[in-house]
Amino acid sequence: MKTLVLGWGNPILSDDGVGIKVAQEVKEKLSYPQITVAETSTAGLSLLDSIVGYDKVIIIDAVQTKEGNAGQIYRMELQNFSSTKHFSSPHQINLATALELGKMLNLAMPQEITIFAVEAKEITTFSEKCTPEVEQAIPKLVKMVMEELVG
Amino acid sequence: MKRITIDPITRLEGHGKITIFLNDDDSVANVYFQVPELRGFEKFSEGRPAEDMPQITQRICGVCPEAHHMAATKALDDLFHVEPTSTARKLRELLYSAFYVTDHTTHFYILAAPDFVMGPDAPPAERNILGVIAKVGLELGGAVINTRKQNHWIIQTVGGRPIHPCFGLPGGVSRAINEEERAQIEEIAKQSVEFGKLSLKVFDDVVLKNKEYLDMVLSDTYTQKSYNMGLVDENNKVNFYDGKVRVVGPDGKEFCKYAPREYLEHIAERVEPWTYLKFPYLKKVGWKGFVDGKDSGVYRATPLSRLNAADGMATPLAQEAYDKMYSTLGGKPANFTLATHWARLVELLYAAERLLELSKDPEITSTDIRNIPTATPDEGVAIVEAPRGTLTHHYITDERGVIKKCNLIVGTTNNYAPLFMSIKKAAEDFIKPGVEITEGLLNRVEMAWRPYDPCLSCATHALPGQLPLEVTIYDAQGKEVKKLSQGI
Repeated sequence: MKTLVLGWGNPILSDDGVGIKVAQEVKEKLSYPQITVAETSTAGLSLLDSIVGYDKVIIIDAVQTKEGNAGQIYRMELQNFSSTKHFSSPHQINLATALELGKMLNLAMPQEITIFAVEAKEITTFSEKCTPEVEQAIPKLVKMVMEELVG
Repeated sequence: MKRITIDPITRLEGHGKITIFLNDDDSVANVYFQVPELRGFEKFSEGRPAEDMPQITQRICGVCPEAHHMAATKALDDLFHVEPTSTARKLRELLYSAFYVTDHTTHFYILAAPDFVMGPDAPPAERNILGVIAKVGLELGGAVINTRKQNHWIIQTVGGRPIHPCFGLPGGVSRAINEEERAQIEEIAKQSVEFGKLSLKVFDDVVLKNKEYLDMVLSDTYTQKSYNMGLVDENNKVNFYDGKVRVVGPDGKEFCKYAPREYLEHIAERVEPWTYLKFPYLKKVGWKGFVDGKDSGVYRATPLSRLNAADGMATPLAQEAYDKMYSTLGGKPANFTLATHWARLVELLYAAERLLELSKDPEITSTDIRNIPTATPDEGVAIVEAPRGTLTHHYITDERGVIKKCNLIVGTTNNYAPLFMSIKKAAEDFIKPGVEITEGLLNRVEMAWRPYDPCLSCATHALPGQLPLEVTIYDAQGKEVKKLSQGI
């Protein structure tokens, strides 16, 4: 099963870089040829380019919800996308539309998609560091991604 | 009217916010538009080597990294007092042209087309790229994806890395291209020219042949008579990569033309108490408020502005398309905001033609790609046209080239005031006393900002087509009468 672990975010916008930091740590721990670990900072349609051709995709990203606490981790699967209303991340709309578009155009879309999202505190101030609350979530998240891949 | 304070300190929660105040008779008294602003870039770049700026600034936005990369690279040329080699210039412009093809394609088909193909009153679930493809056909959808994919390959090949080029150096670029790559680029460019022509035909069939849409394009609701800004070459033709900034008045007359280093003599920024955003305006006209006209310093920097500010396009097919556009719109300048979508397609065709020209240039595979700087750095300013508007990078460094201060004016920043004015006008024209305010307000407002293709921090996370937005309407007594939202 061709698998992609995709760290998504902006590495110079504080907590928005958490997905990339997690992906980098996962990459260091892994060495399976069937698993690709990548990073991306692009928006929207370019996501489609990244995931075409993989059977399974794990995306790691920052999110901001109305009720969440900084550092809180969420795990979402494909079937959550169209029906989940309580998450306020535009990513799920983003991803859902991109997936549908891919299917419509008969591109090779992944069968399994899992998103790990971390509640971000600060994503509008430039910094290469995450806030302490989000920084603390990184080791736990790395463990969860590894379990998802291996377990 | 009850006084409500709009406090920009309130966290905007990653979405845009529009607040509308009504008069006693339920007509619109005032409209305010707020978006979260990315902050602290100047502090973030202090102490960093200026040579890192092409890498750093391209991370600011996930949609147009190439624009920042190019502006930063040119700022380094200026900072280190070095000219790029002729081949390096051409490679830079080649990469930039491919970038424009991808970016304009994405914007038109994902953002603009749904309004016109599906219609502005179609349900939101249908008014997106999926609806467009369902209506115009899978083949066109495939062509969109393919054009983007092929031109991204050019950017990756020439720029050295996918998405984030590692390419620009003071005095040149980091790698040359070989004949095999060049031939492939030429082939892609030819296909991109065909795609550019096809896209203009789609616009013709779907918009121009539909009287209802053409009326909307020409309507007063979406008209704004501001100054227009864009980069032009020595013949006053549109150029995305280099040239001087030309500003043309609402009457079509040239108002000023300046080199990058002179930008602070011409542009100032207005601060308003209800937002962190600052509003650039023309210093020599002055700030007269959020109004258009010859006496107001508000200016626009969009694809339409670029075409208004220039005397034409530098390539033949794009020039034809430019002539057709202006003859349909009644001459220059065209002040119809929705025509920005049309101008974007003219630019798409130009970018593809320019890409083809450069791919066939005899110097393009030369390995003479760098002039090593020898002068001591101090200050550098550069301007490129980002798809979303004129982009300025300004660095002040110490004698080692370490940043002491930097100032960026990004494409969208130029358009904050006109964007706000367009939204306000759309809201005013849609909200009428005695008429129920419906969800359609959201789309009318969206149609007002979409031509600007604004790079807003909340928008960078969403697939274009849905700005996460909350609209709150207060009556004259300060009571909330309606709240509409999307994408939240």
